[in-house]
Amino acid sequence: MPEWPRQLNQEMRQHLDDEYAALRAGGASHDEAMRELAIDVEEARAATPMADLGGDLRYAVRSLRQHPGFTAVVLATLALGIGANAAIFSVVNAVLLRPLPYEGADRIVVLWGDLHRPGVNEIPASAGEYVDYRDRSHAFDHIAVYDTAGFNLVGGGEPERVDGAIVTASLFPLLGASAQIGRTFLAAEEQPGRNDVAVIGHALWTRRFGANPEIVGQVVSIDGRPTEVVGVMPPRFQFPDPAIEIWKPLLLDADAVSSDNRGSHGYTALARLRPGVTLAQAQADLSSVTATFKAEHPLNYRTGFSVALRPLQAEIVGDTGRPLLILLGAVALVLLIACANVSNLLLARAASRRREIALRTALGASRGRLVRQLLTESVLVAAAGGIAGLVLAWWGVDLLIALAPGTIPRLREVTLDARVVLFTALVSLATGLVFGIVPALRASGPSPGEALKEGGRSGDGAMLGRAGRALVVSEVALSLVLLVGAGLLVHSFARVQNVEPGFDAGGLLTLRLSLPESRYTTFEQGDRFFDALFAALRARPDVESVAAANVLPFSGNNGSRTFHIEGQEPKRPEDQPEEQLRIVTDGYFQTMKVPIVKGRELTGRDRLGAPRVALVNEALARKHFADGRAIGRRVAFSRNDPQWYEIVGIVGNIKHRGLDAADRPELYVPYRQPLFANWTVRPMQVVVRTAGDPLAAAAMVRREIARLDPEQPISDVRTMDQRIGRSLESRRFNMILLTAFAALALALAAIGIYGIIAYAVTERTHEIGVRLALGAQRRDVLSMIVAQGMAMTAAGAAIGVVSALVVTRLMSSLLFGISAADPVTFAAIPLLLAAVAFVACYVPARRATRVDPLVALRTE
Amino acid sequence: MQHIKPGILDRELKKGSAELLILSLVEDQPRHGYDLSKLIEARSGGVLKFRVASLYPLLYRLEKRGWIQGRWIEKAGQRRRRYYRLTPSGARVLASQRSTWREFAEAISRIAGVEHA
Repeated sequence: MPEWPRQLNQEMRQHLDDEYAALRAGGASHDEAMRELAIDVEEARAATPMADLGGDLRYAVRSLRQHPGFTAVVLATLALGIGANAAIFSVVNAVLLRPLPYEGADRIVVLWGDLHRPGVNEIPASAGEYVDYRDRSHAFDHIAVYDTAGFNLVGGGEPERVDGAIVTASLFPLLGASAQIGRTFLAAEEQPGRNDVAVIGHALWTRRFGANPEIVGQVVSIDGRPTEVVGVMPPRFQFPDPAIEIWKPLLLDADAVSSDNRGSHGYTALARLRPGVTLAQAQADLSSVTATFKAEHPLNYRTGFSVALRPLQAEIVGDTGRPLLILLGAVALVLLIACANVSNLLLARAASRRREIALRTALGASRGRLVRQLLTESVLVAAAGGIAGLVLAWWGVDLLIALAPGTIPRLREVTLDARVVLFTALVSLATGLVFGIVPALRASGPSPGEALKEGGRSGDGAMLGRAGRALVVSEVALSLVLLVGAGLLVHSFARVQNVEPGFDAGGLLTLRLSLPESRYTTFEQGDRFFDALFAALRARPDVESVAAANVLPFSGNNGSRTFHIEGQEPKRPEDQPEEQLRIVTDGYFQTMKVPIVKGRELTGRDRLGAPRVALVNEALARKHFADGRAIGRRVAFSRNDPQWYEIVGIVGNIKHRGLDAADRPELYVPYRQPLFANWTVRPMQVVVRTAGDPLAAAAMVRREIARLDPEQPISDVRTMDQRIGRSLESRRFNMILLTAFAALALALAAIGIYGIIAYAVTERTHEIGVRLALGAQRRDVLSMIVAQGMAMTAAGAAIGVVSALVVTRLMSSLLFGISAADPVTFAAIPLLLAAVAFVACYVPARRATRVDPLVALRTE
Repeated sequence: MQHIKPGILDRELKKGSAELLILSLVEDQPRHGYDLSKLIEARSGGVLKFRVASLYPLLYRLEKRGWIQGRWIEKAGQRRRRYYRLTPSGARVLASQRSTWREFAEAISRIAGVEHA
């Protein structure tokens, strides 16, 4: 007897055996008998219900393998949708969800001084305040402060500018970190004479010292001072950011903690809550500490000063959370659209499976049983799609990291970890249920007997009809929301790019130069260096002009200072003006090509011994000199023994933090007229206007500096255009991703429209044939079909526009120069969608017009 | 009769009469599925033919409704087979279906003038 499929019920197998035996007895060969029985076997198999999940799975695999084209399209759609979700989620996971890589990271908080006014709610701590917090509070295991710094490292290779931090010894135990080799700092090393020690990062250790363990105990030159390396941190340790490679102890001598320096708010303060202490309790504890020291130092604190605690995690994530969540929402929408498409494919397929399903219902499979079988199939496809999606995400994550702006924290931690895999698994499962449920319910729906009777032909159109159309309408609506979101970002980006920075960025080369105080102990020494450098550079034919400033626009740095305006002493001390202060060399405005609106530019004569002068920008003039007469007025930076600076010019406003930032009031002071006595040359940023390609001039500038001082490193060498480009990175990142997702959504929606129209055309071939036979014009048929598709598009677009109006409000913080209901975007996007939808309808509709009436009628 | 395609007639008649046929065939004695399919084919002169995937679902349905009852029986020299017999409630259904069918056939023949066999 032949082998019948195993899962057939016994009676059917016996029947087939009997029939086979009868055929053989009648003289048929084995092959003839099997051919005779083939249809019976196939039908019987299709009609046999599975007993268990394993059976369901086997059945699903077989049924999918029988339709490789269908399976491939579904898998590709799902892999794209799920892969995009997994990739974006892996970023969200690393940046927002995963705990910081420090022991008990959820109990680490940041302390900010707060004057409860905009701009002065994140005041760093001073050394004196740190000592008070450390000695008088009770809510914390550890308190630490740090400040970032750049160090000139000499020894073991070329002089190098290395990013570093000055930290209290308590920082390492607070973070639960210890050295891989050697040790971290002792509290005693915060004292003068003991503080020439350093801990170095793993990357620096391998890069510069060949991972030599003997480095511990050796002496290197940091900022011109012999410094002993006491420890090397493990590779995973990074604080406060991944670029930091040298840590030095903070000097807490009598001068640092003196009353005079209490106002030097330069340090970021961290604390670790004691176990069991809540944020509110810690806050109360700190409030009593601040109340005490405010009473002890009444002159140092303006009224309203308090200290606020914020979890370190929130501090690090900052405002990158929202764009990431918006992107996650966007990929979720893309996945929903993909689900709708797959649902439609399944509906079309379910139509052709009606006979199979009807047979199985007749055999006693309950509706729940059938739904389970159909869902098993869709979840199986979704699981396969999920695995393919993970593979795509594997590559996608690398692409994302390459595209991502440096402003997103913790990017190096982005990986496909267990949580991402679990997320992807859950998403895949949910996906399978979402796209499978409608087709399963429809297919297992009422009157399978009808289908048996009808031979599974008519009624299919109606089945795909309403559910399918609803799916396409929702696809159109969802993709419109995404397109509008992307459109708003694109429109904003175009607007930001068109903002004039207020200076001519083309041709500018910038770099950072930090003269170590150990070798340039006086202002004059530093000044001589810059004089010689500028003279050498100006002599070059490829240099038009050169200048320097303590901070350049788009450098990521800024600095503000309080000042006094002669004759405008505020009544309350807290109303004293505080604005952005720039310390610049003469020729700065000429080099930057910032227009002088009134008065004059700084010159070489504005030096010590000459009357002190200052320039202000238009924003400052407007804000503080309401009468419009800023020139000739005087400002000073200290109340006792004031040195008055006369305002001699008003310059144009420039964008400092970014093209999308508001113009801020700025005050410019010549660097040769220092604010205080015994001032040394601080780190300066040099800006060179070159005649040709600014990057080509970089090597020349480097040579000139090395010729003057071979131990002097330079860093952060970039053209101004690169800096401006960097400031747009996060905007560009969000725009590119959202546009890519929207394009994917549009393509999926177009496929959805195409699919349902093509299906409708096939279903209506007969009807179209009748119409044509009765004298309808082909043009009429074409417009009838296209109108059907466009009606769905219009319905979806209408729903989409209304939803977009609600949803895009969430992203108003990402927009620039337009509102979340930007009429241009809201008009253009539906038109774009309509054009794409038209093509998606037109192509299958054209096929309908080629129906031969005779052939169409004969097919019934 | 020539104006209706044989396939359609087969399908429609079978649908309407399948239950009646099966109930009638198990009225006198219990029969198994293969036996039933052969009897239907033979007695209808080959006009009616059940496929495996239709017959067994139908038997299952009739049993579920309580009109027939199946039992595995082993006879000497034969393999185990499932025999179906008519239940009392099946007998009532059979009687009612028979009379309905008869009335229907008579009505058709009165109108169409088909001779009564």
